[in-house]
Amino acid sequence: MERLVAVWCPTLLEEGDRADEAREFTRVLDTLEAFCPWVEAACLGVATLPARGPARFFGGEPALVALLAAAVVEVVGTTEGVRVGVADGLFAALLAARAEVVVPPGTTGAFVAPWSVAVLRRPELAVTLQRLGVHTLGQFAALPGSHVSARFGADAAACHRVARGEEGELAGLRDPGIDRRLRVVRGEVTDGPCQPGFFGGASAADARAARAFARVQHRLGIDAVLVGRLGGGRGPAERARLVPWGSRDTQSSSSAPAGRPGDATGDGGAPWPGRVPSPAPVAVLVDPPGVEVLDASGRPVTVTGRGLLTSTPTRCSVAGGPWQGVAAWAGPWPATERWWSTRRRRARLQIVFEGGMACLLVAEREKWWMEALYD
Amino acid sequence: MFVSESPATLSQRRSHPPAGLLPPRRRVVPADLAARVRPVSTAASRLLALPGPLVPLFPDGALRRGGTTLVTGVPGRGASTLALALLASASAGAGWCASVGLTDPGVVAVAELGLDLRRVVFVPHPTAGWADAAAELLDGVDVVLVCPPGRVRPTVARHLVARARERQSALVVLVERPGNWPVGPDAVLTVTAAEWHGIGQGHGHLRGRRAEVQVTGRRPAGRPVSRTLWLPSGTGALADVTPDGVALSPPVPA
Repeated sequence: MERLVAVWCPTLLEEGDRADEAREFTRVLDTLEAFCPWVEAACLGVATLPARGPARFFGGEPALVALLAAAVVEVVGTTEGVRVGVADGLFAALLAARAEVVVPPGTTGAFVAPWSVAVLRRPELAVTLQRLGVHTLGQFAALPGSHVSARFGADAAACHRVARGEEGELAGLRDPGIDRRLRVVRGEVTDGPCQPGFFGGASAADARAARAFARVQHRLGIDAVLVGRLGGGRGPAERARLVPWGSRDTQSSSSAPAGRPGDATGDGGAPWPGRVPSPAPVAVLVDPPGVEVLDASGRPVTVTGRGLLTSTPTRCSVAGGPWQGVAAWAGPWPATERWWSTRRRRARLQIVFEGGMACLLVAEREKWWMEALYD
Repeated sequence: MFVSESPATLSQRRSHPPAGLLPPRRRVVPADLAARVRPVSTAASRLLALPGPLVPLFPDGALRRGGTTLVTGVPGRGASTLALALLASASAGAGWCASVGLTDPGVVAVAELGLDLRRVVFVPHPTAGWADAAAELLDGVDVVLVCPPGRVRPTVARHLVARARERQSALVVLVERPGNWPVGPDAVLTVTAAEWHGIGQGHGHLRGRRAEVQVTGRRPAGRPVSRTLWLPSGTGALADVTPDGVALSPPVPA
């Protein structure tokens, strides 16, 4: 489990009438990004960032907590408005922030044990457990896992693993709409269909195209009509993103240099060691299927810590499909980003199947995924 | 008052009685009238430019507004690349392009093919509304790329072809088999063979795909035209095949 710093702003948890809370929360996020670029908003009023890298840089976790708290207090204005904590995994980190403590690694189970089962945010489960005499997470964790799963189902089993400190993520802890909400507040995305005629100096053809896009957005939803933007990064999915037509950067982009065809890299020529060379794949899969890669003797092929393949790949099965022979392959291109976090240690492999289809595989945590197709 | 004479005024003058029988009438024609009554689209403006390597495949050397082009090929041979390349010059030349139903577009590849990302919109998941979305977009943009899910009903296909002709936009249809599109298009581009170059057994990298593209259709009298090109070359754009294969990108040290 990843060490996480959670920053909890109790005054910003609920949104008032004027959306001031969301705007202030974006300022909190901007302040935190000065310490570490990997700040994530879990929900309104709660931000997380990985602890290991910044803690090492700023002189330990207690020092990092003090620095972050002082910085956020300046934004929020009151010391009551900020609580910071560090623990393994998101669930424990949120509780650590509420208690304003640094939980030592590996002691998550002991830390969460005295908390009430109500903090799982499962009201029905909490009521049932309390009727059964199970009041704390420690008592809940002491129940046999198979019994919890059989009696209460899969969701309760996930809660049980969290209560034991075996897992950090729990459904419901993160608000899936928070990123979009904050982008609306920042003005990067409009909340309604964009109005034709708002484009400075647009020609008649541009206005006609904008009207057509607005009609399709009206029919299929704002997120259905997308435009591409280029940025820096190693993999094809990181180098580009699709944003809804009409969001702020699509309108101002007519004068912006990013994304012009001559500058196909879009990142000003910054070096990205580990980037897969051109040509880029024409299909970048939003939902990458898992791939099994085997060598001639039928053993799985993986990437070693030194960025080499354990053996020669000879056949692959995509998403459990039929086996396809490997005609040619190249790589791996190791892309070690955020090396302190094991979930970002990746390597990419180009494969040409015997049928002529070429694809880009990415290895992450000893599993292969099909990231893109060269059709 | 001197008035620039347009063919219309000349023909009218000829139908008048000879001068002298009637008192001369002063005809005042606004100087910009000729420009105003001229047909809106001239022959040249009915054509949309294509990237250089694709020019010999089309009888006009360009994509015709109001026409339909079908792109087919077995997945993996580069039909998607070819279909997107048809949009490149139109988008780079201040035109607007749209793609409907092309799931998971690779934005970097699209930019490398020469499309201006500011003038291309993607509707990757139109679900059941793909035909309506395509019809709306044919109203507003110059080229629409449509990737229908499976076989298209003849009424739907005819409606889209008619809409493209009426709105003077170019329709590009990407299907796996020509039979999935029931209306006869102006041209059918098929990738008949393709082979990746530059990659070996654990060395090199994908540096270019040499592909053979065949054109059939009613415009060039049904005569198939075939051409070998890099689809794409090492830069990501299309390129002609030269004997020394210079279109490949330089090797990258592993």
